[in-house]
Amino acid sequence: MKNSLLIAVREWKARVGSRSFLLMSVIGPSLILTLIYILFAFGGEGKQKWKVLVTDKAGLLEHKIITDDDKAINYYFADDYIEIEDFRDGKRYQEFDAMVEVNEKVLSNKVGHIFYRELPSTRMQTRVQYQIERRIEEIMVGEFTDFSINDYLKIKQALNLSFHNVYDPRDEASDLSGWVGFFYGTLIFSFIFLFGMTILRSVTYEKSNRIVEVLLASVSPRQLMSGKIMGIGFAAIIQFVVWIVVIGFGLFFMRELLFPDMLDPANMNFDQFAIEASQKSYADKYYANLEYNQFVELVYERVNFGVILPFFVLFFIAGYLFYGALFAAIGATMGTESDGQQFVIPLVLLLFLSLYAGYFAMNHPESNLTSILQYVPFTSPVVVMVKLAQGYEPGHGYEVYLALLTLLLSAFFVLGIASRLYKNGILQFGHRLRLRHILKWLRST
Amino acid sequence: MLEVRNISKSFYKREALNNVSFNVNQGEIFGLLGPNGAGKSTIIRIINRIVQADEGSIRLNGDLMVAGDLSQIGYLPEERGLYRNMTVEAQVEFLGRLRGLSKADAKIKSNYWFNRFEINDWRKKRIEELSKGMAQKVQFICSVLHEPDLLILDEPFSGFDPINVELIKNELIRMKAVGKTIILSTHNMKSVEEICDRVVLVDAAKKVAEGSVSELQDERKTGLYSVRFSGSMIAFVNALWTGFEIVDKEIHGEDKFTVRVKMRNESSFEDLLKVLLGEVKIEAAWEVLPSMQDVFIDLIKLESQEGYEK
Repeated sequence: MKNSLLIAVREWKARVGSRSFLLMSVIGPSLILTLIYILFAFGGEGKQKWKVLVTDKAGLLEHKIITDDDKAINYYFADDYIEIEDFRDGKRYQEFDAMVEVNEKVLSNKVGHIFYRELPSTRMQTRVQYQIERRIEEIMVGEFTDFSINDYLKIKQALNLSFHNVYDPRDEASDLSGWVGFFYGTLIFSFIFLFGMTILRSVTYEKSNRIVEVLLASVSPRQLMSGKIMGIGFAAIIQFVVWIVVIGFGLFFMRELLFPDMLDPANMNFDQFAIEASQKSYADKYYANLEYNQFVELVYERVNFGVILPFFVLFFIAGYLFYGALFAAIGATMGTESDGQQFVIPLVLLLFLSLYAGYFAMNHPESNLTSILQYVPFTSPVVVMVKLAQGYEPGHGYEVYLALLTLLLSAFFVLGIASRLYKNGILQFGHRLRLRHILKWLRST
Repeated sequence: MLEVRNISKSFYKREALNNVSFNVNQGEIFGLLGPNGAGKSTIIRIINRIVQADEGSIRLNGDLMVAGDLSQIGYLPEERGLYRNMTVEAQVEFLGRLRGLSKADAKIKSNYWFNRFEINDWRKKRIEELSKGMAQKVQFICSVLHEPDLLILDEPFSGFDPINVELIKNELIRMKAVGKTIILSTHNMKSVEEICDRVVLVDAAKKVAEGSVSELQDERKTGLYSVRFSGSMIAFVNALWTGFEIVDKEIHGEDKFTVRVKMRNESSFEDLLKVLLGEVKIEAAWEVLPSMQDVFIDLIKLESQEGYEK
């Protein structure tokens, strides 16, 4: 054990001190943050400012929209009816992003159209829709009733009878949650792949460099292999923590500085919207929800860090041990470095399969196949992450522990097999690796 | 000190060692000789527990060897490597600790060796920055840092420059003097003659011969004697008459020669000296022993002939 630790510490120091480790610690999270930024920025806003031309031949709106303090949208009024073709092609209309057609019949048939050149973000759509609808409602209230607009809104508020699952009254087990799990699963596999390849390279380095002979005169192949897997694993965890911290801070600053209104409906709507927020109907809530960038919600709201993180760490460790042993065994058995590349392909395919399994689990959480896949060690880290995020049904929580136990047992089984391959293969070099070599090495003790 | 008993090892169908036994005594330098592929490295790997023997046993100081005994062994393999991006200091300490030294001990002992080999200025350098000779010194230090009772060196002189060869030889002789046991696998027969006390010769997976260097040479001596003298060659030839036969001669100057002589009719070395005294001026005379190179080639040829006849 002492020797395994010595090997692990050396391996850890070698990784953490390397330039590629530092580079990955900077580039990895920066890439993810950039991606998130792009998704926030484009998913949430689209074009930042919109010019909307309202054609109101009957003068119903009286050149007025309910608010004029929405800085993102400027309304212009035309007292004429404009053909779509004219709006589309006419030079004088090119500056407008959209045209709202308010027909004089709108009060009776309640139909209006908004024509756009480029489909705006959901948020922009909702704003325009909301602002014009409210203005028309205001006119209708004045025209047809004696109510104040506030009374009207109270009456207008729809009854909201909706269905809820008693096991999930807040509807947490949505697709969105599944994505969180899938994200975690992907993270696990990215790290397994990254550091699995590091194990492979480290084994082949020692093998081709022949220092392995000196090492094996002091430690057993099993100690050497487990020390190596441990050391690189620690490095992986350190890198992971760095990623989490950098991404965490990045997200925090993004929310505070770049997208301050991202999560606060009151911030991004006009005053009345804020007043209504307290009494809004299901339909309003629906629109309000659309105003959220779904991705923002996914990142900031849906992640149940308390539950997912501990299991994430456990499944990461178990999955890493499982795949790490396979990578080490491949490294030990290969004769030349190009051999290793070839034999890695099936392993990479397995990794991709596990990602697909996670995707499948997300879309078919109740399927029998998903239940099976969560116990298959090749796929369980991703599938369990997805299932965890979606939430296990009451009474089925044991499945997580069972899957973890299965994965751990499989990892130890694979470690046993891998150390046998490692022991028999590590001193061979320059041979052409064939399947029969592997079978022989597996058989011999 | 070390008893190798009836060791056999096959790698699948290929036989690497067949019932090989030999003893290594405490405080001797023991040569493990044999042509390429004879099984020398396999024996060394088995002693180091890197591979397991199919049959047979290894005893260290009378007891069956166990993994814990590895801390008493130092090993410099033939194909030796180092972590190229580690510093000299870190590398030496790491390998010393793997052999059971504490961190503090590893530091003290590496200081001692860095001073001894005069590489103190290089301790913070990475291995990749070192010259080959310097790296060789580091490799040697790694194998002796934990002061093993038994040091096993596989082809220690291959790839070493002459200065390092001399350095290592002197170290080995010094270690022997303080009672350490050394096993040396080598092709370099000159070094064997110079420093080995006893040798074992393996060929084609089998032990061919075992004994002290002088014993092996004695067994194969051909009755040749060399005489270095000054004087007339004719006088020398006349003096020998019928009891001796001149095999060859070397001319060192106008009247200086070294002549190799073979005995005839039970003549002895003393007879040779008697007939020459007064005829020429004898500067030196000695029995010509076969070099270990000759012994080696002779034994291998004999073994392959026997194998062929069988």
